[in-house]
Amino acid sequence: MSDHFSGPRALADPAADLTDLFAFPAPDNPRRLVVVMDVFGKAGPGAVFSDAVIYRFRFRRARIEATGPGAAFGVDPDEVGFDFTFDVPGRDGTTLQRGHCRIPGGETVSFSTNDDRGGTGRGVRVFAGQRSEPFFLDVHTILESAETRKLAFKEVGSDTLYGTNVLSIVLQLDWAELLGSGPIFAIVCETLQAGPRPVRIERLGRPEIKNVSMSFKTFDQVNRDLEIRDLYNSEDAFALMPDYVGAYRARLNANLSFWDSLDGKTDWPHDELGNHPLTRLLLADFLVIDASKPLQEISYFEIERAMLAGHPHASPGGRWLNEDVMDSIFTLYINGGNGPRINDGIDAPIAWSSKVFPYLAPPNPPKGQA
Amino acid sequence: MSATPYAERPTSISGTKAAVVTHGTIALRNLGAQIDGLERSSTPGFPRLEERAWLIDLLALRGSILGRIADHERALRLAQMLVRDATTEAAAFLARARTRAVFHRFTDALDDLDVAERLAADSESVDRERAAVFQGLGRYEEALAIREADAHRCPSFESLGALSTLCAERGDTERAERLHAESVQRYRGVSPLPLATLDFQLGVMWMREGQLHRAQDHLTAARCYVPAYAPAQGHLAEVEAELGHFDLAIALLDPLAATADDPDYAAQLARIHADAGHPDDSRYWRARAAARYDELIAVHPEAFADHAAEFWLAAGGDPRKALSLARMNLEIRKTPRAYVLLSRAIDAAEAAGARCFSHPEPSQSATSAANDRSMQ
Repeated sequence: MSDHFSGPRALADPAADLTDLFAFPAPDNPRRLVVVMDVFGKAGPGAVFSDAVIYRFRFRRARIEATGPGAAFGVDPDEVGFDFTFDVPGRDGTTLQRGHCRIPGGETVSFSTNDDRGGTGRGVRVFAGQRSEPFFLDVHTILESAETRKLAFKEVGSDTLYGTNVLSIVLQLDWAELLGSGPIFAIVCETLQAGPRPVRIERLGRPEIKNVSMSFKTFDQVNRDLEIRDLYNSEDAFALMPDYVGAYRARLNANLSFWDSLDGKTDWPHDELGNHPLTRLLLADFLVIDASKPLQEISYFEIERAMLAGHPHASPGGRWLNEDVMDSIFTLYINGGNGPRINDGIDAPIAWSSKVFPYLAPPNPPKGQA
Repeated sequence: MSATPYAERPTSISGTKAAVVTHGTIALRNLGAQIDGLERSSTPGFPRLEERAWLIDLLALRGSILGRIADHERALRLAQMLVRDATTEAAAFLARARTRAVFHRFTDALDDLDVAERLAADSESVDRERAAVFQGLGRYEEALAIREADAHRCPSFESLGALSTLCAERGDTERAERLHAESVQRYRGVSPLPLATLDFQLGVMWMREGQLHRAQDHLTAARCYVPAYAPAQGHLAEVEAELGHFDLAIALLDPLAATADDPDYAAQLARIHADAGHPDDSRYWRARAAARYDELIAVHPEAFADHAAEFWLAAGGDPRKALSLARMNLEIRKTPRAYVLLSRAIDAAEAAGARCFSHPEPSQSATSAANDRSMQ
């Protein structure tokens, strides 16, 4: 799963467990940017947001600092944050909650969850509530591939998340007004334990870093026994602790090499220091979006690939809700785009997201009603 | 935005600063939503072993928080199926061991743990599970060796909390309180359930020690974390009754006894109504508890022998039945409380004129042992 149930500590409170981050230009208005944070994978109908968790989006201006094999982003130290918090729902068993979004400048937009109209404030429109899981993948064949060290994808796979729901937070914003000049932004989402000094529980930027890219321990000859994800989760996405970067790099180098090996050829030769060419870009673990470009259906990692190839990017990057991002990732990792697009056998979720706010499809009905 | 959504959280009564945690109502609702979500997704295809084991653990957690036997029974059934479907997976045997231990099938649980270890489960994880079973069996020294080593190796919320719970079970009150405080200080989670569970354990410890106000504090704290924490509510009612607050005790027990599938609440209510001078109410709840205990003893004799014996000794008013169950309980688990229970059952049976010559020697030795241990 993209980031589902990633890390033992996150399992303790599903409402704090991030599953996905999406970022895309608003389909109907290029002056607006949309970000979506999903939590609580496989949520049952009664799921609600925690009142002890801050759900945060962080934006920083980014720029392309280097292209070619040493491709890298530069990211500004200043950032803009949007914090969502939720009240305790009523005692009548309802899942309706009051949500609050604090936007830059101190204004707070309050709204009711599960209301498709959402709430509006200066330059923003927000929604929070239960929606259909937009992500789709076949976990069994991924695990089987890792176990057998052979690509185990089937022509028709079995969507592990078929028919399930998540809790989604949607923030649509006028980026020029609220984020300042861009047009390239680095975006992460986080869950934090509320309190005088909020403590980060989880963070999420790129899809499938913590699971498909980092979770397998067997290929990593440096830290074979290390459950690295809780440590990684606790880091600031924009400022990794130098003490641990070596461990993350070793894990990514090993696991990316494993994926590269699955088609019997090496598409990503390591550099003289033994680093996989994607490791540096993936450790910049935030979604990068060019807000000046219109929505494209397939755009994840397009900016980074253009950087590696040394030519200008053509898409907004980021991640659109309906992109078959697993195929994009497997194609990137396994053949680097030097071969056919890799298909994991799952091509669609149970319901497509729409191009109208709040974008994600309504929740799937409970089991008995399905 | 609500002023400070975390301002009304309980302050740890051990003097440490309480963590900011999710409201208990939300936590329980989300626990149910997790279970529903996993049950739902387990229908088509082949759910992952980890998810099936996780569902079992979640059901057991909800069962213990809501005092819901049906959840434990479902967890046990799922664990049996998991082992059937995954005979070479250590995680399946670990899951079944945990559910069997809940039903006091300790020998079966230890067998499962042996298999899990042979199937290459992490030996430290297996040992932690063994410690829980040893604790249930009253093999405290073996449990203590594992828990202390674990806490020494990794002094986390979990390891210190587990050691605190063991000390509480042994009546080592001072150490249990100290470890509880250390454990809470290390808590980094958002869920209130682990914190509530720890306070509940200490509340039960102080109740057994006769320190009713200290028990009241911990049980109240547990309910502040999770208002619907049924066993905490039930034990708090017992404490209130001991303090002479019969009306409050009855108010706490009434909703539990009316809805729970665990007869303990009806049994307590019968006893308290009798003490409060309400014989008709007492008879009503006695009949309900008796019928349910009989049902449960028929299905899970090991799990309910001790509580049923307590019931027949008190409101149930059948010392012979109590004696038979207390003997069964001591065969299963040789804890100090099991010895004390048997001793009380023998005394009650003798007082009722029952002839208990069928097993004279074990009874006498059990009585002596119980007296010895109760003085420690």
